[in-house]
Formats: sequence, structure tokens, C-alpha cells
Amino acid sequence: MATNRWLATGNYHISYQDEQKIFSTHLDRSIFIVFLSALFIWPLFFEVSNKFMLVIDNIMIAVVAIIGLNIVTGFAGLISIGHAAFVGVGAYTLASFSRVLGDSNMLLTHAWPLMIVLSGLMGAVFGAIVGLPAMRLKHLYLAIATLSFQMIFQWTINFMDFFDQGQTISIGRVHWLTGEVARKDHYVFWYYIILVFIVLCGFMVRNLLRTRYGRCLSAVRDNDRAADAMGMHPGFTKVYAFGLAGFFAGIAGALHAYLYRGVGIESFTLHESITYLAMAIVGGLGTLHGSFWGPAAIKVLDLQVEILAEKAAHFLPASMNLATALRPFTFGLVIVLFLMFEPRGIANWWRIVKSYTKLWPFRY
Amino acid sequence: MQTLHVSDVTLTFGGLNALSNVNMEIKPGLITSVIGPNGAGKTSLLNCVSGFYHPTKGDITYGAKHLTHSSPHQVTKLGIARAFQNLELFRGLSVLDNLLLARHTNLNYNIFQAIIFFGKAARLEAENRASVEEVIEFMELEPYRKSIVGNLSYGVQKRVEVARALTLAPDLLLLDEPMAGMNIEEKEDVVRFIMDIKQERNTTIVLVEHDLGVVMDISDQIYVLDFGELIGAGTPKDIASNQKVIEAYIGED
Repeated sequence: MATNRWLATGNYHISYQDEQKIFSTHLDRSIFIVFLSALFIWPLFFEVSNKFMLVIDNIMIAVVAIIGLNIVTGFAGLISIGHAAFVGVGAYTLASFSRVLGDSNMLLTHAWPLMIVLSGLMGAVFGAIVGLPAMRLKHLYLAIATLSFQMIFQWTINFMDFFDQGQTISIGRVHWLTGEVARKDHYVFWYYIILVFIVLCGFMVRNLLRTRYGRCLSAVRDNDRAADAMGMHPGFTKVYAFGLAGFFAGIAGALHAYLYRGVGIESFTLHESITYLAMAIVGGLGTLHGSFWGPAAIKVLDLQVEILAEKAAHFLPASMNLATALRPFTFGLVIVLFLMFEPRGIANWWRIVKSYTKLWPFRY
Repeated sequence: MQTLHVSDVTLTFGGLNALSNVNMEIKPGLITSVIGPNGAGKTSLLNCVSGFYHPTKGDITYGAKHLTHSSPHQVTKLGIARAFQNLELFRGLSVLDNLLLARHTNLNYNIFQAIIFFGKAARLEAENRASVEEVIEFMELEPYRKSIVGNLSYGVQKRVEVARALTLAPDLLLLDEPMAGMNIEEKEDVVRFIMDIKQERNTTIVLVEHDLGVVMDISDQIYVLDFGELIGAGTPKDIASNQKVIEAYIGED
């Protein structure tokens, strides 16, 4: 019997179930619970502007998408340059319902949790189909195959009258227990919904990772010949990875559509795909919590640079052009710096902090 | 325990015959060695058995099952495990994860049970962990349990490779040069492991090895390949006195 359940030091596992736990100490678990409740409670105490809330909502939607991207690119090692298109598949699933049934149909406004999951499943189907080349292709060639899906997706939407050629298709306001969600509560309401989805998705992936459905992903990343010899079909495993990534992307897409109350092609372009990849890299590929760091870091940086650029343009009107170039410039710079100096991403800093505290109160 | 039959197997790459009309019978419960000079086709033969190559002609059967056109994962499910010559480990994962991965097919929970985790998946994972622990103890890998495989020394990595094949709980174990590049002490260790695997775990072993001393000492049956052809078969005694084998190794004058 372990006598000390709060610190990692001197804490020995006495059963294998014990070792499998997500939170190995009471301290870890308490910190997580406190942090999570803080996330749920703070909007009650602080009045924040809609713009600020929108940024937070955006970050959280990106988190859901990056969880998916991390599965396929981080864990399974398959570079996907079409992730925004998968997110788009989720959003356009809702859009097609809106086009057929009208934007305020009961299905969209009342059964929205169902619609979000349905969009996820749709994303999973498309992910699996796009993942089929992974049965044969590897590395860069596979990346190009996913890029082609991104292109096909954009072209298809742009040329389909059904989807209004990529112009915004509106989605109605949703209903909650208390009736229609009012305009002023919209962003806070979706903050809570997205938060719930993040927690569910996070635990889902965390659980998958400690079972054979998660381990097989790292197996095909590290050595698919050996994975084959271990009795798993490497091709199907890769298709499964794409399917899983598509599922989370689809959910993110549906959340995006509901948050903006509309679906337009400009949110699902190649540029977005590359931004997603950047977030995954900055956060840390192949780690679950990297999916949280990445979007937060990139989006907050983006916001700060925008504010800076505005200020610069205000004081020095002549530098207007420079200021607009500042955003893509810092974005590129951050990625290059991370690739050079911290290819394992922010998640690695977290790992270092954790390893320091692991031995506490002893120094080594 | 079943017998592995290799009958008239020919493997052709373009105009080159890697194997030509090779016949073998690998009897259960024995250590069968395959020897031969470099490029004789030993590894090609193992690749044919484990499904990485498919013979151009001929047939491979394990008991009543035909392996000729099977993929590696299908062969694995029949109870045939393989340790590779050039380490094919999951280098980014810990020793523990490498071994847990080998139990992939033994875990029969579905993806929804995996997502919920509590219940069946948790129970099976704990059992899984316990059986992996048994192999870790058997192969004396306790100090390296949580180390990343890519950071371990070559000799230990070789041992992990064998351990991973053992974790599959095979009836037939194919070992491709498990002693290559080792010093005498490490070789003695590996020989001890091989003997233990045969006796305690009741496993048939096919050994491809260059060290003739070891091969002569521990084999029950030896097959000799040269340029893809079988030039000798029999007990170590027969092989030692086989004129063709001596010529292949020492050269004709």
C-alpha cells in the first residue's frame, strides 16, 4: 500500500490498474479538477466583450480540430495538409441540412448536439476515404494526396450552386432548455458547449491512447513493417487514423458553423490547413496536451500582433503596408524558430516542468 | 504444435534466383538452424515464411494452413513470430510499449469499450500488462522497462526484439541472426535464452545464424543454403562431415 497518494515521490504502483490511471497522484487530479472548474466558473464573474469571447471560442474550436490532427500527424505520423477541408466537411454537413430544410429547422436548432456528432461522423467517413491512399503511399507522397483533397474540396464548394458557391450559408440560432439562446449570450453559451466537447474529446483520446486502438497509431508511425509483423494491418490502421482525425475535425467544423451562425468557404482554405499544422507543431506533435498549447499560443500571438499592427498604423500611417505584413511574418518566424529550437513544441516545456516536480521535495 | 513445410519454394527477383527449389521440414519442439554464406538466401527464406515475400513457385504450409500468399499480420495470427536481423523496433516508444504492442491481437475489446476504458478494456489491459511483465522477467529486461528503445545499447535492443516476438506467445519463433555483432558473453546470454525458450515455453525455433560453433552446439536439425540452393540437411554431425558444405564454407581448391 502506497502510503503517500499526493506526491509522485515514493509512490509505488502496487497493481497494474494503478499504473494505468490518467492521474497518478491526488495532486494531479486535484489540480485538474480545480483548473476545469475554474474554466467553467470564470465567465460568471468576469464580464468580457464579445470580441474577446469569440477569440476564446475560436481557440477552443481549434483545440478540437488539433486533437484530430495530432492523432493523424502526431501519433500516426501521416502528414495531413487537408485538415481544414475535414473541418469544412463537418461545417458543410450542417450547411446542407440548412439548404434542404431551411436554416431554422428543428433539427438544426433543437437537435444540435445530435447534428454535431453527425457532422463528426461525416468527417470520419470523408477522412477514411481520403486516407485510402495511405494504404500504398508514404511520407511526402501521402501529404500531397491529402493536399489534393483540400483542393478538390475548395473547388467543389466553389462551383456548387447547392452550397451557394462558397458564400455564407446561414444557420439558425439554437435553443437551450430556457428557449432560444439570445444574441448577447451567444458566445458565452457556445463557450460552455465547446468546453464540454473538448473535455469529452480529450478523455476519449486519452482513453484510446492507453488501449490497443491508440498504441497501433504509434506503431505504424515508428515502423510499419514491424507493425505488420505484430499482427496489425498497417494500411487499415492508417485509414483508421484518418477516420479518427476526420471525426474530431468534423465536430470542430460543426461547432464553428454554429458559433458563426453560418458556413463560408473562406474558413476552410489551404491557408487554414497550414495554420492547423503550425498549431500542432508549436503545441508539440504526438502529445495530447500539445493540442491545447498550440492553438492557444498561435491565436494569442495573432491577436497581439494585430493589436500591435493597429497601433503602429495609428502612430505611423506610412508604415501601414509594413504593419499588414507583420502578421504573416511573425507567424512564419515563430514556426521556423520552433522547428529549429524546440521541434517537440511547447509540450516539451511542460514535460520538463513535470520532470522537475516529479522528484519534489528531493533534488534528485 | 504443428510442422512447417517448405516445399519446392523458388523466389525470383528479376533474373536472380534468391531461392531455388528449397525443401524443408521444420518439426515441432526442435531447434532448426539455417546456415549458409552471405547472400545464400537465409533471410529471404524467413521473409517468405513470415509473409514479407511471396514465393514465385512452391508452397509453404503450417499444419493444414497455406502461408504462401499470406500477409505478415495473417501469419502472425497463426502463431508464428519473427525477430528481425536489422532491428525493426518501435524506436520512439518505451520497451514496455513495444511489448504491449505485440499483444495487439490478443485484446478483444472494441473501440467503444476502449473509449470508455473502465470495465472490459481496463481489465484486459491489466492482464495484458501482467503477461508482458512475465516476458520482461523471462528476458531479464527489468532495468529497461521504461526506457525509450532507441536510446538502448545494441545488445539490449536485440534482446527487446526477441522479447517482443516472445510476447506474441508464438508456437514457432523465427530468429534472424539474434547474435550478430555481439561479444562472447552476450552470445552466451542469447544462447541461454534460446535454450530456455525451447524448454520452458515449449516453442519451436528456427535460427538463422553465422556463428557455426553456436549452431553446431544447440541445433537439432540444420539446413545449409548456398546461392539459394539447399546443399545439405541433417543433424549437426551429418553437416560437419558433408563435403558440399565444407566446400561452400572453405572453398574448393
